[in-house]
Amino acid sequence: MTRYFRLYLHFLRFSFSRAFEFRVDFWFRVVMDCAFYAVNLTFFTLLYGQTETIGGWNLGQAYIFVAGFFLIDAIHMTLFSNNMWWLPILVNRGDLDYYLVRPVSSLFFLSLREFAANSFINLLIAVGILVWAITRYPGDLTAMNIAAFALLICAGSFLFYCLHLLFILPVFWLHTNRGLAMVFYSIGKLAERPDQIYTDFTRKVLISVLPLALIASLPTDTLFTGLTVERILHFAAVMAGMFGLLLLLWNRALRGYVSASS
Amino acid sequence: MNGRLFRMLISLEARKLMSYRGDFWITAVANLIATVVVHWFLWRAIFSTTGAETLRGFTFEAIMVYLIGVNLIGRVVRGADLQLEIAGEIYDGGLSRFLLYPTRYVAFKYAQHLGAILPEVVQMFLFAGGLIAIFGLPADAGFSVGTIAMTIPALWVGNLLYFLLSVPLQFVAFWADNVWSLGVLLRFISMLLGGAMLPLAMFPEEAAHALRWLPFVACYEFPVRVAMGELTGAEYLVGLAAGLGWCGVVALASVPVWRKGQLGYTGVGI
Repeated sequence: MTRYFRLYLHFLRFSFSRAFEFRVDFWFRVVMDCAFYAVNLTFFTLLYGQTETIGGWNLGQAYIFVAGFFLIDAIHMTLFSNNMWWLPILVNRGDLDYYLVRPVSSLFFLSLREFAANSFINLLIAVGILVWAITRYPGDLTAMNIAAFALLICAGSFLFYCLHLLFILPVFWLHTNRGLAMVFYSIGKLAERPDQIYTDFTRKVLISVLPLALIASLPTDTLFTGLTVERILHFAAVMAGMFGLLLLLWNRALRGYVSASS
Repeated sequence: MNGRLFRMLISLEARKLMSYRGDFWITAVANLIATVVVHWFLWRAIFSTTGAETLRGFTFEAIMVYLIGVNLIGRVVRGADLQLEIAGEIYDGGLSRFLLYPTRYVAFKYAQHLGAILPEVVQMFLFAGGLIAIFGLPADAGFSVGTIAMTIPALWVGNLLYFLLSVPLQFVAFWADNVWSLGVLLRFISMLLGGAMLPLAMFPEEAAHALRWLPFVACYEFPVRVAMGELTGAEYLVGLAAGLGWCGVVALASVPVWRKGQLGYTGVGI
């Protein structure tokens, strides 16, 4: 474990020094993410100009939900996104060999080796927006619920990573340029809306087999309604299922990987 | 650039895109399904909460037609916007060979851009036809052969304008290493301010009025409203003229950026 921690510190050092070599790009990405935040906050403000509540949430609650999603997105962009971008390229070029021979977990190495320092700035901005949304919320939020929310945001980030990688892994078999990553970006829109708007079968799918509603919506709901044993078990089961599936497919993919001709 | 070369480039680019046709179709179908599902549930929730028959002049059916229409049309307007080929060629030195070709660089790139949207155009008509076959012709939308015919020039203007808006951003690659973020920035801003996320009628009145003067409306809201038969002949002509006017303004604004960038271009690549 210590060895992995030390290795990760090296990843951080390399990533920061690389990021500061390209300072203009660094700020472009910060501005891009700020625009993403502004566009989404404006979108929800305009939506709430037409109605008092959406899926049972008022504007204040929706702001917390959106800010929670920004935070999860920023965590993903900072820790995983660049690595997810490179994975299909490494597979198609046959460059994965270099990582497979390392004396560490290949999944760890390939998921975390590049830390996006520019997105780290956005992570701080996303935290700021979340704090702003929580402090302007007029209702009572208990410390216990805020702690549960923070915990489930971490769980949501982990699920986001698992789902994203699961959609990239088909690159080992399909030999397309990005696996099914674009499909993930398309269906990811479902995670950007409160889960209560979905009904019946769609909602069941979104809280189980394709757990996009668990990424930001259910953590936000927990902030208002409190954490129950049922919800803890639900999250634990889905996370275990997703990570188990990820490990299974990752190992199968590596067994079938035949370097440059893959 | 002569017409034959222009057509050949369009054809080559379309074929290149279709070399990953499995990926292309799966992504497009997933995007369409996700769009329909998200909008359907979101707007159904809003309409059922308010109990209103219409919101800012839109019934539930009309807003669905608008948002699905703007999604399909938006894909054609943007084309392969995030491929950023111009920026890539400036960055890796590939631009050098184009400077030697007896052709205009931006016209060459526009031909390739048009080729890349051909499969998207086919998809747009197929998906629109499929949705009409499943859900029927929407009663609120005034679709007709005439409005569809009028949409084609509006779509072309939107596409040309979006391409021209992205060109000066890609020229920033003369000074920066990676301008991908600027392409994404253009996409975010144009979608919100052009009415791709919400019709401009949902904005406060003064804001909606001001946004109609910006170029983005020609990329999204204008072609959809033309297709839905919402505009009079005069409004249509004014909209087309405004879009073309913006094309001229943006093209002229790009010229000094290109000239200045070329002066500092060394062509060494990475």
